[in-house]
Amino acid sequence: MSAEQKKFLKDIKIKKVKVIIAQILLLSIFLLLWEFLVNKGIISAFIYSSPSRIIKTIIELIKNHNFFIHIYVTLKEVFISFVLGISLGFIIALILFEFKFLAKVLDPFLTMLNSLPKVALGPLIIIICGANIKSVILMALLINLIVNIITIYNGFTGVDEYILKLFKSLGASKWQILTKLVIPSSYQTIITSFKLCISLTLIGVIMGEFLVSKEGIGYLIVYGKQVFNLNYVMTGIILLSIISYILYRLIIILENKLLKHL
Amino acid sequence: MSNLLELEDITKDYHTKLGEVKAIKNINLNIKKGEIISIVGPSGCGKSTLLSIISGLDNDYKGKVKKNKDLKIAYMLQSDALLPWLTIYDNAILGLKIKKNLTEEAQKYVDYLFDFYKLSEFKESYPKNLSGGMKQRVALIRTLSLKPDLLLLDEPFSALDQQSRLLISDDVYKIVKSEHKTVILITHNIEEAISFSDRVVVLSKRPSIIKNIVNIDFKNQESIYERRKDTNYHKYFDLIWKDLDINEC
Repeated sequence: MSAEQKKFLKDIKIKKVKVIIAQILLLSIFLLLWEFLVNKGIISAFIYSSPSRIIKTIIELIKNHNFFIHIYVTLKEVFISFVLGISLGFIIALILFEFKFLAKVLDPFLTMLNSLPKVALGPLIIIICGANIKSVILMALLINLIVNIITIYNGFTGVDEYILKLFKSLGASKWQILTKLVIPSSYQTIITSFKLCISLTLIGVIMGEFLVSKEGIGYLIVYGKQVFNLNYVMTGIILLSIISYILYRLIIILENKLLKHL
Repeated sequence: MSNLLELEDITKDYHTKLGEVKAIKNINLNIKKGEIISIVGPSGCGKSTLLSIISGLDNDYKGKVKKNKDLKIAYMLQSDALLPWLTIYDNAILGLKIKKNLTEEAQKYVDYLFDFYKLSEFKESYPKNLSGGMKQRVALIRTLSLKPDLLLLDEPFSALDQQSRLLISDDVYKIVKSEHKTVILITHNIEEAISFSDRVVVLSKRPSIIKNIVNIDFKNQESIYERRKDTNYHKYFDLIWKDLDINEC
């Protein structure tokens, strides 16, 4: 390897490290400033809590054996809703792709459902499913499913026309076109739908937990509000931010693995 | 030479929301086995439509396409149409896989073509790692691997730079000549049409009719470079240029 090439690669690494250092610095400044403003009484500790109070709350929750239960319940609901949302979204998008007439008929209804504020369906969901995990999952599904269907369907319909022509000229069957072309060429869109789905699922799960749950991070936030202990609320928000970041990173790792050749 | 393909009164109309478009009108053409034919004409005159009809991709037309039922047709398109998630080798054998014809003999032929085009070391690479010219060669291997009787080339070199265009068109020319393949080439490039083919069919603007068929007769047929050196080359060029509705596009 030439000296110039080594320098080029080193520069890339240095730039990467600089970005990470800047990110850590920004977060540290934010946390320190938050702690400082609260300690000096400039902002209310009761409303805004503080990093040290959040750490104390987490230790307290761990001692009470509640911390991991809340995280586990929320993650379980997120996982089930995510897998269901993606699987159903994929299957329905596939059906719409195969039956173009049905896709045209359903188009305005999907748009309507997509723009409907799902939280309005909360009371109905509780009556149908009861105050249990089913309601939380249904709420999350209602929020993520339509977007998944629309995103994946758009991926299916965006197949390169030249490649499609090539497949047809080779005498490919409908099944071959679907499995060897349409689905693989939608990998990028499917991963995009994963990204959208994970954030929408988190929104749906927390919304569902607000409505019915007795465990989970959403419940922790609602409980904190009810007992006027806003440390719980801020702890819940911080935990959610960390979880959503980790889940998003996991999808990025999956994306890099699956799409490395694209 | 016997006719491999006969087109009888081929007429094609498109129906759009804006009205009816008469694309092709009464095209009659016989193509002999082993013949290389180029079709030139103004943009949008229906050249690609004609290939779609010949290949059987478009069955909504009037007239008759007479061909043997077992005639093996392969298409090569403007785009290399390589699948980015497959390796170069898997792309090359895609047609064989789809046709469920990936025999040992077929694989040997693919390997031979990889060697012939000096692409063997790239078998496990992915399309994004290859140049435009190399990708088009892989597309050519994918097409030839099917051992077609009739090759339909729909502007296969148009996306390439001039250098790659000449090199690859010469590759194609040599292999179709040596293997006595029948070829229909669609191109916008008159020089390419003359240097590549035995006959050049000149189409008019829409509705497309055959304005002229120019027989190309060169003494040295060895390569497209030799053909371009022939003294009659410019005569053919002028003849085709005169017939093209180039000013009316």
